[in-house]
Amino acid sequence: MPIRKVSSKATSKVTGTAAAAAAAADATTGATTGKKSLLQRLAKSAGSPVVFAIIVIGLGVLPLLYSSGAIDSTAMIIFSGKCIALAILAIGIDLIWGYTGMLSLGQGLFFALGGYCMAMHLKMVATGGNITEFMHTGGLSELPIIWRPFLTFPATLVLIIVVPAVVGGLVGFFIFRNRVKGVFFSIISQALTWAAFSLFMATSPWTNGNTGITEIKSVFGSIRGDANLDHLYMLFYVSLGVLVLVFILATLLTRTKFGKLLIAIRDGENRTYFSGYSVSRYKNTIYVISAVLAGIGGALFVNFNGSISPSVMTISYSIMMVVWVAIGGRGTIIGAVIGTLLINFGEYTIASGSMIQAWQFIVGGIFVVVILFFKGGIVGIFTSQLPAAWRWLQARLGGRGQGKGADQGAGGQLAASQAGSSADAEVG
Amino acid sequence: MTATAATTATAAATKAATATAAAATKDPVLKVNNISVSFEGFLALSDVQVDVQRNTIHFFIGPNGAGKTTLLDIICGKTRPSAGTVTYFPQGREMIRLTDLKEYRIVNVGVGRKFQMPSIFINLTVWDNMILSLKGHKGVWDSIFFRPSAAERADIEQMLERFDLLEQRDTIAGALAHGQKQRLEIAMQLVQKPELIMLDEPAAGMGKQETFQLGEVLREICGECTVIVVEHDMEFVKQIADVVTVFHEGKVLMEGSISEVLADETVQAVYLGRGGER
Repeated sequence: MPIRKVSSKATSKVTGTAAAAAAAADATTGATTGKKSLLQRLAKSAGSPVVFAIIVIGLGVLPLLYSSGAIDSTAMIIFSGKCIALAILAIGIDLIWGYTGMLSLGQGLFFALGGYCMAMHLKMVATGGNITEFMHTGGLSELPIIWRPFLTFPATLVLIIVVPAVVGGLVGFFIFRNRVKGVFFSIISQALTWAAFSLFMATSPWTNGNTGITEIKSVFGSIRGDANLDHLYMLFYVSLGVLVLVFILATLLTRTKFGKLLIAIRDGENRTYFSGYSVSRYKNTIYVISAVLAGIGGALFVNFNGSISPSVMTISYSIMMVVWVAIGGRGTIIGAVIGTLLINFGEYTIASGSMIQAWQFIVGGIFVVVILFFKGGIVGIFTSQLPAAWRWLQARLGGRGQGKGADQGAGGQLAASQAGSSADAEVG
Repeated sequence: MTATAATTATAAATKAATATAAAATKDPVLKVNNISVSFEGFLALSDVQVDVQRNTIHFFIGPNGAGKTTLLDIICGKTRPSAGTVTYFPQGREMIRLTDLKEYRIVNVGVGRKFQMPSIFINLTVWDNMILSLKGHKGVWDSIFFRPSAAERADIEQMLERFDLLEQRDTIAGALAHGQKQRLEIAMQLVQKPELIMLDEPAAGMGKQETFQLGEVLREICGECTVIVVEHDMEFVKQIADVVTVFHEGKVLMEGSISEVLADETVQAVYLGRGGER
């Protein structure tokens, strides 16, 4: 707030002139702008579903490609399954960060909670409900109470949602009730994840510490080898179905008044309080939603991965998740999906051999460039920067006489979008 | 009884006289009782006592740093006082002590606030800005399934019309001109249907004509709610003020009608004499 106050006079002047310029451009171009805005509006509302449909179809044909021999190993399909799980988590991060402006650096915690819930159940399936070897080694003689609910699948499904929701709800209650925000929220979320990491390491008779829960199959049985191909396909399509469902629900949510309020909180928390909303309650709700999505992602991930360890609760992993969303484009659900798939597939295809080290630098470099020049990420390039560049180009190529007004217009719009993103930066 | 009625009838002829009549009825909507605030030892307000009468336009004026904005902050719950209370008397309801409530509750009992800097939701359209400001529906669950009723939509349209923003209803609010932003924020407060609205420098950044029109709109509004304004523009004060309270160094210097205030020598010395009349 104080930053805004100091620079208030200057920014208001800038936006004022930008708006004036835009208005002037509107007047000069007249009818054509009306047409364009209709087209733009159409592109805006239809763009992301179309892109998402293409992504889903692209993923959906992978099993067919394998059957027809175009892909020579199932590893690609298993990897894509993991990406689907991560994309679900990324949508959660986008809701809390891209929409609400709260940078959570601890989503790995909820990812792990969902993942461990699923893994504990799958381990119970593998041992036939008996205690595991690591429990033996740890000195336990019977199944600990916390493992018991995971003996049945329905209870596991419920807990995959309830555990992250309750932990997120409780943590959020104390954080948001005390109006902790900005970088302090980020640090607390990160510290909690680190604390959970240590906790899982320290309680090895129950969690198998550093190694985590290994030697488990998916809920449909083993997915390795050609003999179990239908298990893999089933798991893959179920996961894809969950992603589609989550995408649709998240998109619908952002179009409700609730979704508008998330943006309102990001852009003007103070105004939101003074419009009569209990902002902390809204923040807590979206925090719980993002935690649940991370939990669901974790649970699906374990099925493909065949194991889970505390390494998913490392700080670097949680930061990586945020990087996916930033690169894809925060503030758009589709951006989270694009970023997650792109970076992970990039890592899958590029990062091998000597490139493993280099890959970290490549991602880091992309991240820096995105933050500096493309605040809207990949999606932003297509929705705002390219159109702005196109208008600018058109104005340059257009007749000199009318060129001037249109040129000003493009400049004005560019300035307006920059004004918007600078306010964004204040939040981020 | 008949005597007062008669006086009111004759007084109603002039604007200044309406103010006195309103004041004479003594129906306070807000009582600021002995408020003091200190920021790390600096006494921003000391023992401030102000009564605001229902359906009046009440101005807080004074030099910079006199504590006007701080007092608004206290009334709307942004700042907690070191001592004193603020009580609010909504029509037909129990008295409410605002100093006990959280800010978003204060809004919901009918006290709106417009900030000095236009504070609107820059990435939402003008229409969505208004939707979020509607009275009621403030719960999380409610917001997920919310659809504005026909009456609410008509309300918003009417309010946008009043503030000459109807054409901009689908414009992203961040792209509005400064004056339009100011008007939008006031419109957002009014669609909330407050009983008391506080405007912190609403005319800042507006031209003479725009300021005058704003004054006319505030006069209209005044029939439905009470308006508190912090403003430096003395022309604007003269145009619409019913009551003026002058602040100086965290204290109330004097209170009265605009002509009384302008005539006061102390006020001239501390405020007007320093170029207050611009």
